Amino acid sequence: MKRSRITATLTDPHLWIPVVVLAIGVALLAAIA
Amino acid sequence: MNPQVAHSRGRSLHSLGVVSGLAAGAWLGAAEAPTKLVTVGFSPFLISLGMVLGVFVARWTVPVALKGTSYVWADLRDKPHLIVWGVLAGMLWAVANTLTVFAIRNVGLSIAFPLWNVNSLVGVFWGWLLFNELRGREGSQRLKVLGGATAIVIGACLLAYATAAHGVHATQGAATLGILAALGAALLWGTMYIPYRKAYISGMNPLSFVTVFTFGELGTMFALAAIFDGGAANVLTSLDQARPALFWLFLGGFCWVLGDLFQQYAAKYIGISRGIPLSNTNQLWGLAWGVLVFGELAHMAGVAQALIVGGSLIMIAGAAAISLAEAPADEWREWHVAMERECARYGLDRERVAAALTGSDPASATRSSRRWWELLIVAAAVAIFVWLAFQAEQQAIAIDVPWLLILAAASLVLLVGGGMLLWKRSRFG
Repeated sequence: MKRSRITATLTDPHLWIPVVVLAIGVALLAAIA
Repeated sequence: MNPQVAHSRGRSLHSLGVVSGLAAGAWLGAAEAPTKLVTVGFSPFLISLGMVLGVFVARWTVPVALKGTSYVWADLRDKPHLIVWGVLAGMLWAVANTLTVFAIRNVGLSIAFPLWNVNSLVGVFWGWLLFNELRGREGSQRLKVLGGATAIVIGACLLAYATAAHGVHATQGAATLGILAALGAALLWGTMYIPYRKAYISGMNPLSFVTVFTFGELGTMFALAAIFDGGAANVLTSLDQARPALFWLFLGGFCWVLGDLFQQYAAKYIGISRGIPLSNTNQLWGLAWGVLVFGELAHMAGVAQALIVGGSLIMIAGAAAISLAEAPADEWREWHVAMERECARYGLDRERVAAALTGSDPASATRSSRRWWELLIVAAAVAIFVWLAFQAEQQAIAIDVPWLLILAAASLVLLVGGGMLLWKRSRFG
């Protein structure tokens, strides 16, 4: 993957929404398991 | 392609997206049926891992036969940045699915299912906020979608209320955790549609996306099981012990792959705000399997039966409202703006992406060459299913065979009808 696409992916503001939600899900799972 | 042309093509694709959404509902609902056969007592992580293994193996059957790996590989090389999104979507699915197993364990399927089906409203919100869905001046279509999605949630709540009286004996603490788990799953699954839509407004083929998705899903599920369920060695031992039940979980995974593919096409052609509520009619199918095939609610009182009929009718009305809410030209222009944004950010070919979004990607129409080893992959995946089927033990559960055949036939009609329509209009593009 070209460097510009890596930068574009990492700086895509949309990316952080699923990442944060995933972290919430894992934390919830840890609390329940 | 200008937005007006895209809209005129989009009109013909609306019915394709609706049929895909409804077929997704049937197959995602059928995916729940085999899991009912699993004897209670396995760890939730093991059940979820078994399903994910089934999904992973199933991905190498029908999808490979449809398009082959060369096409998928070329698609991924063309848009490598979407691999991150596909893996992320798979991770979200795996965590959400495990949460639902805990939710079912703590509060029962009848309460948990409608709670996690709220994911459609989460999806509608992200579709509106991030991808310009339901925008534009024409408010009537927007109202149809919002009203339809709300009706589906209300119908789901009625179904839950009607069936909740049966067999939930959790303590208050466990019930609260179960409800939190179901709501958490709704948030995760609703958010998982961000990567779905991201992929399709960038011109990716759903078959390519599902390929990457299953790797994220399987890796995460194995990691979760290893971390929370006593280490990798313990997970492998538990899987071996669960072998007599694995076939049913794999079968659930196979149905899920078919359902999810239809869901992906629905998300592609009518957006997540319309596609996801339609595929959430899977609850109706899950209920039909439970009530008609497994006779789960045979001893239910008349009032509860009336609530179930009422809830189901409201859900059907909601799905019908969304089916009729075709995106107007205004909204297509807004979709186009979102597509342009992705093209600018990731340096994609605008014309090609616009063509793919309307089901006419030239790469999809050309017949990709098949390799001899693709046949081996399909044969190996089928062999795993056959091997597990021989080891499966018959479960002591009464089944109504005529209803089983009727529901299986109805699902097959949607599979064949939806598949033929997708082939005719888009060559599975």
